Amino acid sequence: MATTTEQNVGHVTQVIGSTFDAEFPESKLPPIYNAVTIDSEQKGIQVKLTGEVQQHLGGGRVRCVALGSTDGLIRGQEVIDTGKAVSVPVGKATLGRVFNLLGEPIDGRGPVEADEYWPIHRETPEVADLSTKTEVFETGIKVIDLLTPFVRGGKAGLFGGAGLGKTVILTELIARIASSYGGYSVFAGVGERTREGTDLWLEMQDAKIGDTGRSVIDNTCMVFGQMNEPPGARLRVALSALTMAEYFRDSTGTDILLFVDNIFRFSQAGSEVSALLGRMPSAVGYQPTLATEMGALQERIASTSKGAITSVQAVYVPADDPTDPAPATAFGQLDAFIYLERSISEKGIYPAVDPLASNSRVLDPNFVGDRHYAIARRVQRTLQRYRELQDIIAILGVDELSEEDKLIVHRARRMERFLSQPFLVAEVFTGKPGEITPLSETIRSFEEIAEGKWDHLPEAAFMYVGAIEQAEEQAKQMEKKG
Amino acid sequence: MAKARALDKRRKSIRNIRKITRTMELIATARFKKAMDRAHAATAYTRRITELVADLARSGLDVQHPLLEPRAETKRAKLLVLTSNRGLCGGYNSSVLRLALARHRELGSTADEVAVETVGKRGISALTFRGVKPDTEFTHFDDRPTFEQVDVLASRYLEEFAAGRLDRLDVAHTRFDSASQQTAVVETILPLSELAGGVTTTEPEPNGRGRSLYEFLPTAESILEEVVPTSFKIKLFKCFLDAAVSEQIARMIAMKSATEAADEMIRSLSISYNRARQTQITSELLDLLGGVEALK
Repeated sequence: MATTTEQNVGHVTQVIGSTFDAEFPESKLPPIYNAVTIDSEQKGIQVKLTGEVQQHLGGGRVRCVALGSTDGLIRGQEVIDTGKAVSVPVGKATLGRVFNLLGEPIDGRGPVEADEYWPIHRETPEVADLSTKTEVFETGIKVIDLLTPFVRGGKAGLFGGAGLGKTVILTELIARIASSYGGYSVFAGVGERTREGTDLWLEMQDAKIGDTGRSVIDNTCMVFGQMNEPPGARLRVALSALTMAEYFRDSTGTDILLFVDNIFRFSQAGSEVSALLGRMPSAVGYQPTLATEMGALQERIASTSKGAITSVQAVYVPADDPTDPAPATAFGQLDAFIYLERSISEKGIYPAVDPLASNSRVLDPNFVGDRHYAIARRVQRTLQRYRELQDIIAILGVDELSEEDKLIVHRARRMERFLSQPFLVAEVFTGKPGEITPLSETIRSFEEIAEGKWDHLPEAAFMYVGAIEQAEEQAKQMEKKG
Repeated sequence: MAKARALDKRRKSIRNIRKITRTMELIATARFKKAMDRAHAATAYTRRITELVADLARSGLDVQHPLLEPRAETKRAKLLVLTSNRGLCGGYNSSVLRLALARHRELGSTADEVAVETVGKRGISALTFRGVKPDTEFTHFDDRPTFEQVDVLASRYLEEFAAGRLDRLDVAHTRFDSASQQTAVVETILPLSELAGGVTTTEPEPNGRGRSLYEFLPTAESILEEVVPTSFKIKLFKCFLDAAVSEQIARMIAMKSATEAADEMIRSLSISYNRARQTQITSELLDLLGGVEALK
């Protein structure tokens, strides 16, 4: 690329891992967050790289985070200031497409003809513009609807250690919500497996929205910066996706679904570049700006009077320790908090949602109604008591419990199993078709279990069913088989 | 730190539980030996009485006694449930209670009136909880039931049976088969379907002992009058003795496995605790070193 004289050109002075320094004329320093590009060939190596200005070091030098690989970068290479922050295409042209964080299509379907490009760094909505209405969002998943109801226009987090099924639940939610829903969806793949992203993309092409005959992908745009990308890319990809979602919210006024898998990778990428930018590491080696970065991202995922963004985010919990700073910071931002527990997944109960650690802001009689609230708390109380008794049972055996406690254990074990549910997306693995259980059915079923109406059914009958009548049906089938 | 401390606290409480279960195991072992001796002592007497009655039956006599005759109609049934006063004995009480409740339902559908008498606090509370309130409760039988204590009960039952206020008496208890096997059973002991000790009258004569051995004085009837009620009392007493021995064995086994379970849990908690502690130290060191490094 031939550089013209009007362009603000600098030179690479230092490369450290995924950051690099560039020197510009002191009078024409690119401002913070401006995108700078390197596009040249030296010694037979073609380097095409975009960076983002993070620090001004003095003496005309700026420190940038590379948003791509720094392989082959050499000191002295030309750096061009683009004059603006990284901008991504927004609008209807983005629907059905797959992008990288720079807004370049990566699905091999040619260039995107967008009318508008928005910079990925934006202001959070004004306080006065925020929407305060609270409406429960039904998913048809028993454990979520009952114990951690989602909020329309709110944020829900799926917390869990490695391999507990965060991505599966997220995919399931996409299959359930996006397919029954007319609005637009935006998916951000942040630092997860590329293969999962491809699977999701293909699945969305197959899945149809209601009976309109259109694919889910036609109303969705996807932005990927997966595990293979350098930290700079993983740090910014969530912002790119969010910007696309914000455009739909602000200019079309529709309700948007934003799925992020996995928000922890955003913090992790931040910590990877933090030390390279010369910041002192903070607790557990995270960046000192962890809360700031998370806040800047999360505060933009907001519902305004123009439109709502409902977001579901997966959050990886390192070493199953929820007190780790990264998940702990994300935790405070969310309306609904779903914690996946290893001991539950080890029992073969999926989704492995911990009914006691999970919670939701709207699980409150004012929002969900007295009946829902009462049964949700009753289920939690029963399971809580069961958990307290578990040590005694492990040591002395179930016979030593008082009669009341025996009954609690009896019902708790049934409730625990009844919280499992066959998933639409897991049909190929379980051989059972997915169950969409309406909230009213869920409430009624749990009430009946709590009252002891189904005490006579064997525990196994409660596994992977929808409403309680299916458990009865399953019990009959089990009896037939012997 | 919070995690390591919580683990340590839990480990301490389990250590305390383990101390209790270990002690209970030792006590149960000692008590079991005593109860076993008593049961053995009674067995000799029971066997002799059994032989005597069996011989009587084999003597060609037409054995007839009101206690032996089944009633045409069971109007008033009674269920005696033998459980322990104390817990921590595994499935001992619950298996007896399970059978007792099943029999209670069964009797309820045939007899007009079913009375429940329960021995042992555990059984009383469990049955009350299930809505089967015992009509009579006994808690004074400890792990050494005496014949005098049982005799009071047995005499009352005999009297009620004779007076027609009782048509059938069932006992739910744990039968002591051997030191390694005890079974929860429900037996009908009134009317006596057979003469004491499980020896049926149709059994072939052992080693040629003939009927000529006995001469009845003054009459066979008067002897039966004495022997049949005694046989019943012995049978009831044996139920109590069996229950007492079985309870101790059940407790011994339950406490042994509880101690082992506690050991296992302490072991796994110790591992988790050590790991949590080490993780914490490592991360604190890393934080410190990182800070030092950054300040250079």
